[in-house]
Amino acid sequence: MIWQRKNPFLYGRERAEVESHFPDLHFIEEHGFVFLRGSFPVLYEGRPLDRYTIEVQLARNHPAELPIVREIGGRIPHHSDRHVNADTGIACVLIPDERWRLWPVGESLLGYLTGPLHSFFLAQTMVEEGEPWPFGQWAHGPKGVFQFYRELLDTTELKVMIAYLACLSAENPKGHWPCPCQNGKRLRDCHSAEIKNLRRNISRKDAAASLAILKTAGVSAIELTEAKPLANSLCNRLNHR
Amino acid sequence: MTADEYLKEVLVSQDLGDDSDEMKALQKHRAEVEKVIRDSFEETALTIRYAGSKAKGTMDKESYDLDIVSYVCSGDDTAGETLEAIYENHKKALAKSYFVEPKGSALRLKGCGPDDLGVDFHIDVVPGRFTDETKTDAYLFQSNGDKKRLKTNLDVHLDHVRDSGVIDAIRLAKLWKVRNCIPIRTFVLELAVIKLLEDHKKKSISAQMELFLTELRDHSADLCVEDPANPHGNDLSQCLDDTLKNQLSNVAKRTLQQIETSGWEAVFGKIEKLEKAARIEILRSAGAAATPSRPWLPKA
Repeated sequence: MIWQRKNPFLYGRERAEVESHFPDLHFIEEHGFVFLRGSFPVLYEGRPLDRYTIEVQLARNHPAELPIVREIGGRIPHHSDRHVNADTGIACVLIPDERWRLWPVGESLLGYLTGPLHSFFLAQTMVEEGEPWPFGQWAHGPKGVFQFYRELLDTTELKVMIAYLACLSAENPKGHWPCPCQNGKRLRDCHSAEIKNLRRNISRKDAAASLAILKTAGVSAIELTEAKPLANSLCNRLNHR
Repeated sequence: MTADEYLKEVLVSQDLGDDSDEMKALQKHRAEVEKVIRDSFEETALTIRYAGSKAKGTMDKESYDLDIVSYVCSGDDTAGETLEAIYENHKKALAKSYFVEPKGSALRLKGCGPDDLGVDFHIDVVPGRFTDETKTDAYLFQSNGDKKRLKTNLDVHLDHVRDSGVIDAIRLAKLWKVRNCIPIRTFVLELAVIKLLEDHKKKSISAQMELFLTELRDHSADLCVEDPANPHGNDLSQCLDDTLKNQLSNVAKRTLQQIETSGWEAVFGKIEKLEKAARIEILRSAGAAATPSRPWLPKA
C-alpha cells in the first residue's frame, strides 16, 4: 500500500506543514504518487533571493526513501556539472549515504525542503552568479562514493571501505567476522561499536548500493581520487556525538 | 503600502527591459531559429512573424515567451502537403538544432547541446498555412485533442489581448499561474481574465485580482472561453477540463485565504531590487547559514 493511504495522518501533517511554509507548493496525487509542484523560493531571513519551478516526487514508501527532484522551469541545464542527470533531468541533491546527517529518517518533509533541497537550489543560484559551490560537491559516480567513505572512515584504502560496506549492508554482521579495518582482529574485539553506530545511520540498502558501485568501479575509483587521509573525519565526529 | 501600490511594484519588478539578459538571449535565439527554418525550407515562401507576450504587452520576468509563426501560402505544398506534414517537417528541421517539445499547435524549443541540455529558450514555433491569398487567417495543425485543424488569426489574438484593458491583471494572473505551477495554457488564462473582468475594467488592480480569484474559486466549473479568432469553430473546452478547473478553484481558494490573513505580500513575496554585488553578498550570507549539503551525481 502506498504511504499516503497507509498513513493518512502522516500525509495530512506533512501537507499542512509544507503548505503553511511554502504557499506556492501544491500536493498533487498522480498515478499513485504524491508530487509537490510549484515555485520554490531560495530564502535568507525571510527574503526571497531566487525562485525555481520544481517538482518533488515522493517515494511510494516515503519517507523511507529519498524524494526525486526535478527543476521543471527549464532553467538549470541537465548537466553533470550542475548535478542534474542529463538523461532523466533528476537533480542529485545529496549522496544517499549521507542522509542521516542532512535529513535523518523521522524528520519531516519540511525538514528536507528547508534543509538539503534549499541548500541545493541556493548553491545553483550561486553557481549561476559565478560563485563556487558553497558547500563543495561530491565527485560524480563512484569517485564521489569513494570520497564520502574516505572522509567518513578516514581511510584511502578501497578494500577497507568495501569491507565496511559489506558489514553495513549485511543483514546481521557477526562478532566473529574479521574486523573491516583489516588489523586481523575479530569484529567484536575491534570496531564493533563503530559498525553499530554506522548501521544506525546508513541504511542497508544505501550501503549495498554503494558497495556495488565501489566494487564495480574497482581500483580506478582510487586512481581517480586524490588519496589522502583526513584528520577530522565525519566518523570521528560521529563517534564523539 | 496599499495593496494596489504593492501589486504595481510587483509588476515593475517583473518588467523585462530590452537590454536585460533574458531579452538579449531571446533575440539571439530568435535570429537562429528563423535561420534554421528558412534554411530548411528554401523553396517555400514562408511568412515568419513574431508574437507572444512581448507583442501583447503581457511579458513577466518569470513568464515570457516568443511565438514565431511560420506560415506557408495557401496552395503551397513545398513545406508539406497537409497541415500535419508542415508541422512535422518543421519539427524535423528544428530537431537538428534543438530539443523540440510538441505543445498543441506549437513546437517548444529547448537546448540539446552539452551546456544547455533541457534549458527552455521560451520560444514556441507555430507552423501553419494561410487560408487564402489575403494572408490573414491561417490553419494550424493541433497535435493533441480530437480536432486536428484550427483556424486562427494572429492579429485578432494580439489585438484581443493588447486592447483588453486588463493587461496588468493578465500579467499578475500569469505570474500567479507560474508560481503555482498551474498547467493552464497561457492564452486560455488570458482569455479567462479578459472574460471575467469584462465589466470591471475600471476597478483597481487589487479589486480586479480578488474578483478574478473569487470567480475561479466559486465558479470555475462553469468557466468557458472562446477563441476570438474563431469563436464557434475552435473548441477550447479541452484546454479547460474538470481536473484543471478543480485545480484552479483550489489554488484560488488558497490564494484568497493568504490575502485575507496576511495580505498580497504573502502571495507574491517581498519585492527587493538588489545590485549584483549586494545580491552576491546576501547569497554568501545565506550559504553560511544553510545546511552544508554537497550535491552528487550517481553516474560518472
